[in-house]
Amino acid sequence: MKHDDALNDTALRQLAQRLGTRAAERLDVERTAEAVVTRLRQEPRGAGRVWAAFDSTWLRIAAAVVLVVGAGLLARPAGQPMPRDVAVLASPELNELSAPQLEDLLRTVAEPGGTRDAVAAQDVGLEDLSAPELRALLASLEG
Amino acid sequence: MSPAEPVAAVPTDAALIAAWQGGDEQAAAELVRRHARALARFLAGGGAPEAELDDLVQESFIRAFRALDRFRGQCRFRTWLLTIGGNVLKDAFRRVRRVRVVPLDEELRSADGDPHEHVVALEAERRLGDALGRLPRLQREVFLLRAQQGLEYEEIAAALGTTPGAARVHYHHAVKRLKESLQ
Repeated sequence: MKHDDALNDTALRQLAQRLGTRAAERLDVERTAEAVVTRLRQEPRGAGRVWAAFDSTWLRIAAAVVLVVGAGLLARPAGQPMPRDVAVLASPELNELSAPQLEDLLRTVAEPGGTRDAVAAQDVGLEDLSAPELRALLASLEG
Repeated sequence: MSPAEPVAAVPTDAALIAAWQGGDEQAAAELVRRHARALARFLAGGGAPEAELDDLVQESFIRAFRALDRFRGQCRFRTWLLTIGGNVLKDAFRRVRRVRVVPLDEELRSADGDPHEHVVALEAERRLGDALGRLPRLQREVFLLRAQQGLEYEEIAAALGTTPGAARVHYHHAVKRLKESLQ
């Protein structure tokens, strides 16, 4: 029985190795290479890098604020109303936030009615985004 | 003793990648020549219709060259390229309903040897292709990378962002299900 299985494995592997071989042999590799180079030439290399041109500091801040607000909402017991500060700061106009507003938000999340410990870090993805780190980020912006 | 003949140095993939990033188009062309057939086999094994194979190979290379800045050498360039090919194939399947065309007449005309044996071999490959198409994507890709491309589990795991143990489990699940389908 074991011997039969071994034979089957070998046969299966040989069959898999043949799969697609004829189609691949019919591929005109030289023509494909020319076509790829032509396309690379026609499509500028920077075309897909628009995001990289953004100020990465602001992107990091936006991501941090979204995570912090999300963590605050998760940590809050169901039915408890959202603090006014969080409701205001959850708006998408992140560029208009001042440093004091962001610090207010951090203070709000740091003291969510004593329920913060109920949310594990892996649940909200905050392993690397502690409040001191975010404060340091804000401080760097002020400087 | 005759002096050793000079051996032309074959540039590594890493050297070709660096040359392409420095603006050498011929380095990109050489990478395509070097890996296109393996990629085509992988895509065809994953269910790509032959009529679309050239387009899918091209698209895979284009995406790979565009993403080279993110390639950290965690696995070989070819392995990384094959996983990009898997994504391209997945996107292609989303766009069009999957139709497997077996150009039997063309296959038979191009066949050498015993036509009957050739038909039997084609039928076996068709059945394996159909069975592969019914596997979950990860199992199918691990199976092809291992059985068709001959890669080690460590290499597969690095390319797919998983562990060698998990890759081994996916492979064995795939083999079990393929055997059941082919019996």
